[in-house]
Amino acid sequence: MMVVLIISIVVGFLGALTGLGGASILIPILVWFGVPVKYAIAAGMVAIIATSSGSAASYVREHLTNVKAAFYLEIFTVIGAIIGATVTTVIAPRLLYFLFAVFLLTSFYGLSGRLREEFPEAVVQDRFSKWLELDGRYYDQAAGKEIEYKMTNATLAGVGMFIAGLAAGMLGIGAGAFKVSVHELLLKMPSKISSATSNFIIGMTALAGASVYFASGLLFVGLAAPMAVGVTIGAYVGGRILNRFPNLMIRYLFLVIVFTLIIQMLYKGVTSQ
Amino acid sequence: MREPSLEKLETIISYILIFGVVASVIIETVGIISHYYSEGNINITFEPRFALKGANLFIFIGSTFQDFLRGSFTSLNILNLGLALLMITPYIRVVASVGYFGMVRNIKYFFITLLVLAILTASLITH
Repeated sequence: MMVVLIISIVVGFLGALTGLGGASILIPILVWFGVPVKYAIAAGMVAIIATSSGSAASYVREHLTNVKAAFYLEIFTVIGAIIGATVTTVIAPRLLYFLFAVFLLTSFYGLSGRLREEFPEAVVQDRFSKWLELDGRYYDQAAGKEIEYKMTNATLAGVGMFIAGLAAGMLGIGAGAFKVSVHELLLKMPSKISSATSNFIIGMTALAGASVYFASGLLFVGLAAPMAVGVTIGAYVGGRILNRFPNLMIRYLFLVIVFTLIIQMLYKGVTSQ
Repeated sequence: MREPSLEKLETIISYILIFGVVASVIIETVGIISHYYSEGNINITFEPRFALKGANLFIFIGSTFQDFLRGSFTSLNILNLGLALLMITPYIRVVASVGYFGMVRNIKYFFITLLVLAILTASLITH
């Protein structure tokens, strides 16, 4: 349990800084330590809830989460997760690894093209986004000023979040990378708000996924408990220091992690039976 | 100026998440220590008795609390309680949001959050 605890602390920290749920890092590490993959995925789902809730508590208190956008987007991501989990029961695991790599690649490509942009430029809201009141403001410590922002493309973002939920349900992850991409590329959300809102939404997606593993008897307390404790501690520390980093640094860190995951998933896809 | 009602909701959600996470972490830590003293080690085992299982999450939480009310404070029950509390935390924040938007008569977000709650409840009951 001690090894699992320490690994989980590190993963929780990274998850909070990047907006990733952490399970996509934690699951392969546990498998490497000899934990059966299904048990690792099941416990990973609970760890995602802990990461999400732990860091989301800090972000919400610091007004970095756009809760209205989160609630609207949760409709789509939860439905997607339920359908995705159902699809996984009939699809070959090898195909899942390649799908994983492809969807991460789209995130990597989309964000790497926008590395020079710290904050979204003046956004003209469409009518539906305006009706949903998708806007906000926050104080950015790194920039030393209050940032006002508006979001747009709410309909398209809903579709994007459905796909994110589908991927999360299919792959047993939070799909934080894809969610952050949808927030930034479609909704035009500032990256700090995007990471915080992604963390908020991931908990809900993970709960829907965890319910499936719970009913299947794949969730073991001896594994899930140290993971939950570890990622919570890591996420708490990560959440407290997020606002002290410039947006660009967070995005670079995010890209490095996404790139590593792409390589890892392609490797698993090629080597799995 | 930020929307005042939204700030209140953010504070409520923050407290729910903090309470859920802190309480579950404390309970889990107590459970792990208790497990060490009762089992003599903290090795991870995959025996069936360590699997979380129930008809659905709500029934599992109910039966875990019933065990505590009956005075069954085993390390397994403590660990189960911690995980159940963690899993129910995001659910409670949606319930609180529905209640809050209803109270401040924000019909738009009342129905949006209610829809999220309905989908999530259906998923938790049917699995």
